[in-house]
Amino acid sequence: MNKKTFTVLLVLAFALILSFGCAKKEVAPPTDPQEISAEERARLAEEERRRELERQALEEKRLQEERMAREREMDQKQYQDVVDEILASRIHFDFDSYELKPEARSSLQKIAEHMKRFNNLRLVIEGHCDERGTAEYNLALGERRARAAYEFLILLGVESARMQIISYGEERPLDPRSNETAWALNRRAEFKVLQ
Amino acid sequence: MTYTRKVLSASLLAIFFMGIIFSHALAQESLKIDIFGPGQDRINIFVAPPNPLEDDTFIEKQSPEKIRSLLKENLNLLPFLNNTRDGEILGGPEVKGVRGADIDFRKFSLSRVDMLVTIGVDQREGPPGSVEIRAFEIFGQRMVLGKAYTLHDPDQIPQMVRRFCADLMEYLTGHGDFFRSVLAFERKIGEVKEIWTVNPSGRDLRQLTSLGAIALSPDWSRDGEKIAFSLLRDNQHYLGVLNKTTRDVRVYDLPGNTVIAPTFSPNGHIAVSIDPMGRPDIYWLDTSFRMDRPIMEHWAIDVSPSFDRTGRRMAFASGRLGNPHIFVLDLESNQVRRVSYDGRYNTNPTISPDGRYIAFTRQTPEGHRVFLSDLDTGRERQISFGPGNDEDPSFAPDGYFIAFSSSRSGNYKLYLTTRNGDTPVLIPTGDSHATAPAWGIEQDF
Repeated sequence: MNKKTFTVLLVLAFALILSFGCAKKEVAPPTDPQEISAEERARLAEEERRRELERQALEEKRLQEERMAREREMDQKQYQDVVDEILASRIHFDFDSYELKPEARSSLQKIAEHMKRFNNLRLVIEGHCDERGTAEYNLALGERRARAAYEFLILLGVESARMQIISYGEERPLDPRSNETAWALNRRAEFKVLQ
Repeated sequence: MTYTRKVLSASLLAIFFMGIIFSHALAQESLKIDIFGPGQDRINIFVAPPNPLEDDTFIEKQSPEKIRSLLKENLNLLPFLNNTRDGEILGGPEVKGVRGADIDFRKFSLSRVDMLVTIGVDQREGPPGSVEIRAFEIFGQRMVLGKAYTLHDPDQIPQMVRRFCADLMEYLTGHGDFFRSVLAFERKIGEVKEIWTVNPSGRDLRQLTSLGAIALSPDWSRDGEKIAFSLLRDNQHYLGVLNKTTRDVRVYDLPGNTVIAPTFSPNGHIAVSIDPMGRPDIYWLDTSFRMDRPIMEHWAIDVSPSFDRTGRRMAFASGRLGNPHIFVLDLESNQVRRVSYDGRYNTNPTISPDGRYIAFTRQTPEGHRVFLSDLDTGRERQISFGPGNDEDPSFAPDGYFIAFSSSRSGNYKLYLTTRNGDTPVLIPTGDSHATAPAWGIEQDF
């Protein structure tokens, strides 16, 4: 390398150095701010995540409450349906008999299922007779009819403490007329729900 | 009532003029009726129009006429008497006075009258006045019964007449309790049944309970002080015991689910069907109305106990043979005897006070009818014939009359017959259903 070439290179190097110096003065990008931003981003992301979790939790809670309300409503409706079904359930007997017929057993099975589903259900089982018998014997017969239903429900797993029985004999006919249809209707056990 | 009783008892002058007015050759033969005998006779009786005593006319005519009409009405309840009508008396129904000397026995004899009742009323102290009622046998031409009463109020007339009728029936039959009795019964209004009372003559209708529930099967204690009954309310059976004097009702909760047909026995204890073992059996209650010991335990239904006067025999209905039948238990030997053999539904037994007869209802194709079984002979006969249903027979304390309820008029009403099956007579109790009559003796009659 000659002296002329060396001088040119030196000038260029100096110029280069000068050009770096000018750039630093105009831009001056800091090195620290780049590190703080990453932490902040992480913090912000964490906060965002937390807020999102909270929002999801609140949404979940709201949905759950709505679901529970719906379930409560449904339960209440189902409970009322069950109560209505039990109140409408009547089992019928032959004259001077307290033997449960097959259809009576089916009705009692449904009642037992309802009793198991709703533990707060308590029943009064009423025994009734038609007017063809006489009052005192009918009071005893009505008791046997109510008891037949009561004992069958116990066999099906219903707790005895949730049921009580009463005989009305011939005192509360469903149909006050004196004919075969009315008598068949009046020989019955029926159910009341204790609130 | 208390006022009436007090005034009557204070003022009642009971004068017996027994025997003896005429020395007729046949005067020793008395007119007596064996109400329990076969082929019961009917005798003709005539109640003469009332006469004023010691005066020519009545100050007030209503009271004497009421006495006469009530006498005829009450005597008409006795099936062995036939009330002769005014128009049947030859020469007119009047008598000149109330004493034997005032009576033309011949015209009554010709009119086929067997017994004559005269009424004399003294109104000088003011109406209703002092009353003399006498009964004469026409054939013997002699007075057989004479009673004098002082009345202070027209309301006392019905009780005075009942007293005379009780004494006359006592004279004729040896049993006067019919007119001294009072019937308790169920009366239904709407969905409610309460306990009421009425005299067998249909007078003095009273409501005893106001429970607003179903009160059933009343029965009197022997002293007439209490009425026991079943009470259905609040989904439960209870025993109700009414004190007749105070009108206080006490309610007792017994073990089990039933309280059916509580019945006082002569020993003062109640027998009742309860089901502590899960089946209606007949138990004694103690004097505090708590469960005592069983009288009759059986897997089948046992209800409707009825005791004779001694308390030795108890009739009851039981389903032990598959259908309800009547049985009688000897409480000393503990032997049970079957009473009913016919029919498929025999219930409602009532045993006569002497323990010989049991009346009960049997379901026939035409409805329930009352039958009578003689425990001595084993014979049985029907004593009511409907129509409708005849139920709840109940022997009177005299063992002669039987009250029962019947739907023959549409509604259930109370009727009187006798163990001879005499034509039933309605006991007026109003429009509502009246059932389950039970005899008691009126206190301080």
